[in-house]
Amino acid sequence: MDKVKSPEESRKLLDKITFDLTRSIVKRDEFTNFWYFLLIIFALVGLWGWGIQIRDGLGVTGMRDYVSWGMYIANFVFFVAVSLIGFLISSALHLLKIKWSKVISRVAEQVAIAAVALAGIIIVTDMGRPDRFLNVFLHGRFASPIIWDVTVVTTYLTISVLLYYLPLIPDLALLRDKGTDDIPQWKRNIYRILALGWKGHAEQYKIVAHAMRILMILIIPVGLSIHTVTSWLFAATLRSGWDTTIFGPYFVAGAFVAGVAAVIIVMFLYRTRYGLKDYFEDYHFNMMGKLFVLVCLVYLYFNINEFLVPGYKMKTAESIHLSNLFTGKYSTMFWATQFFGLLLPITLMVNKYFRRPVPITIISVFVLIASWFKRYIIVIPTLEHPFLPVQNVPENFQHYAPTSIELMITIFSFMAALLIITVLAKMFPVITIWEYAEEKGISREIISEPKK
Amino acid sequence: MKKQIILTLVIALMSVSQGFAQEWLVPDDQKTLTNPSEYNLSNVKKGKDLYIKNCKSCHGDPGKHNGLPLVPAPPDVVSEKMQNNTDGELHFKITKGRGGMPQFEGTISDDDRWRLINFIRNFDPSREQLLVDAPPKKAKLLASVNEVEKKVEIFAEVESANGSFVTLTDATVKISAKKAFGNLPIGEVLTNADGRAEYKIPETLIGDENGMVNIVVQLDEAYVTDNVVLDAAKVGQLKPQPKLIKKEILWSTNENIQTWLLLSYLGAVGAAWAAIAYVVFQIFKIWRLGKE
Repeated sequence: MDKVKSPEESRKLLDKITFDLTRSIVKRDEFTNFWYFLLIIFALVGLWGWGIQIRDGLGVTGMRDYVSWGMYIANFVFFVAVSLIGFLISSALHLLKIKWSKVISRVAEQVAIAAVALAGIIIVTDMGRPDRFLNVFLHGRFASPIIWDVTVVTTYLTISVLLYYLPLIPDLALLRDKGTDDIPQWKRNIYRILALGWKGHAEQYKIVAHAMRILMILIIPVGLSIHTVTSWLFAATLRSGWDTTIFGPYFVAGAFVAGVAAVIIVMFLYRTRYGLKDYFEDYHFNMMGKLFVLVCLVYLYFNINEFLVPGYKMKTAESIHLSNLFTGKYSTMFWATQFFGLLLPITLMVNKYFRRPVPITIISVFVLIASWFKRYIIVIPTLEHPFLPVQNVPENFQHYAPTSIELMITIFSFMAALLIITVLAKMFPVITIWEYAEEKGISREIISEPKK
Repeated sequence: MKKQIILTLVIALMSVSQGFAQEWLVPDDQKTLTNPSEYNLSNVKKGKDLYIKNCKSCHGDPGKHNGLPLVPAPPDVVSEKMQNNTDGELHFKITKGRGGMPQFEGTISDDDRWRLINFIRNFDPSREQLLVDAPPKKAKLLASVNEVEKKVEIFAEVESANGSFVTLTDATVKISAKKAFGNLPIGEVLTNADGRAEYKIPETLIGDENGMVNIVVQLDEAYVTDNVVLDAAKVGQLKPQPKLIKKEILWSTNENIQTWLLLSYLGAVGAAWAAIAYVVFQIFKIWRLGKE
């Protein structure tokens, strides 16, 4: 915390911070409209595809008797993975009292909310009869990892929303009290309602801190279980490639890689689009880069374990699966994800040069794409090689290739996730103003005093 | 050197002869054996049963030349190739077998092997044919199940020369139980002078989960009749119903879920949502403080 400034200085500084951080809310130009248009059109195209799928059934997808989990499940795992970053940055690093991550925590929560919400929706798109969705809750088996997954995804979504909302309350009050007239009236009405009559009492701050602390501790087991349980969907089967005991930590480690990449990309977009160079500093990108290398190394370690050990033994079924990945049909995808998603990023980012905003964002884009494909080759190749012989089935049952409907719905999921992030950024400040102001030495009295 | 070549040739010839040679040499002492079994109807009939069980699959129906297309071809019973054998030769060949012809030394008793020869001789043109396959006669078959005494009661009639039906005596009635994959033969019974027969169902017969058995009653091939199927007679034992998931297993249904698993799940979910509820209550407190 900087040293306490005089009230005048503080007020001036706070005004500047508020002005900078509300730019995302105020700014509305041609590009904003175009961006919304783009997202909504693509999301609608995806919904249209979903409509076709509901009308004609899952036969419109490439999924058949053998490969019954296709791109949707791969995409689901990807989104669950990305969502885990909320838990890492806004809770784990907070509890470790790491200061630089505070600025990023709201971005991380935005990404987490968007991703976990979409993960839930993607599962519904994978259902042949989405109208029977409630049966999952009404007739679910408590012993089934699928029920655990449904439970933990909803719990994580709730906690993420609360973790996003709680530190937002003082900000909402601040915008309600000090917001300029540039902010549309309807948004200010929403702020007024959501601010819950925040007055900046010491008591209220205490409650926020207390509730935040509970959530931050709660989200650690929930966050760990969300992706561990997702991995159990695979690891609780006997199939080669899934039947492994390290799938839990392997998935969690992979999730951090994907999540850090996503957060860096969003950070960079905010920084350039909303002129937040002084907030998302080069320093933050540098630190995120270091965190990125760390999680990549952990993931690399798990990857070596995951492939070297069965590759050494090459048991019959396992060897069919592994040779398919190493030298067979999926080898290009496999080695590309390992190279562009892990080896190259690690090699580059240990140099300070590549931890600057632009290079690290480009690397993040590669890593994010690679992590998506990584999920694809976790799900599909295993299913193409069941233990029992594949016989008396049409040729197209034996291999899986996603159809255009699946692509449309997958694109819908990306667009919908971006839409959620965009709406959140357009509605609420992308950095916690009051926390940031406090960091800069502005006292709480000044933060919560009404506009003159 | 020369010896070796000759030896090789001999071995090669011998191995070829196993499959293709026309000659099947039978030791002289075996050749001249005479059939100790008397050539009568009873023995021929028994021989027929043995033939159907053990030989027909390759040698085919007598006189129809429908044996399996093997090399060398299994000859038909009526063929000269078969009938030119002496009894002793037939006995030796059945006993020892060769190539595709199995040896029956261990599976058919010596007496039965001789009976089989009696059946073959039934088609020897130089002998009187004892067993004649008459064209099947029209017959009527009635049957009912006495569930209390666990008996099948049968009444059979056969069409006589003038077209009217008369009681069928001394006919073999086969009783079987209908199973998922075909009929399970459980017994045979002969009709008495009144054309009636009773069959006591064995205690060991297993029915479905309620002890129900579908019983099929039929006459042999000499008669044309509809088989009588007695549906769902309560004469069998209850089918044992193994409970597939007896124990509490990790992946079991809700009825058999492991207690610790259910408690951990509910405990974890309950704890998480209690904490969430507590946080929501804190938010409510913030709102209440704001109103003051």
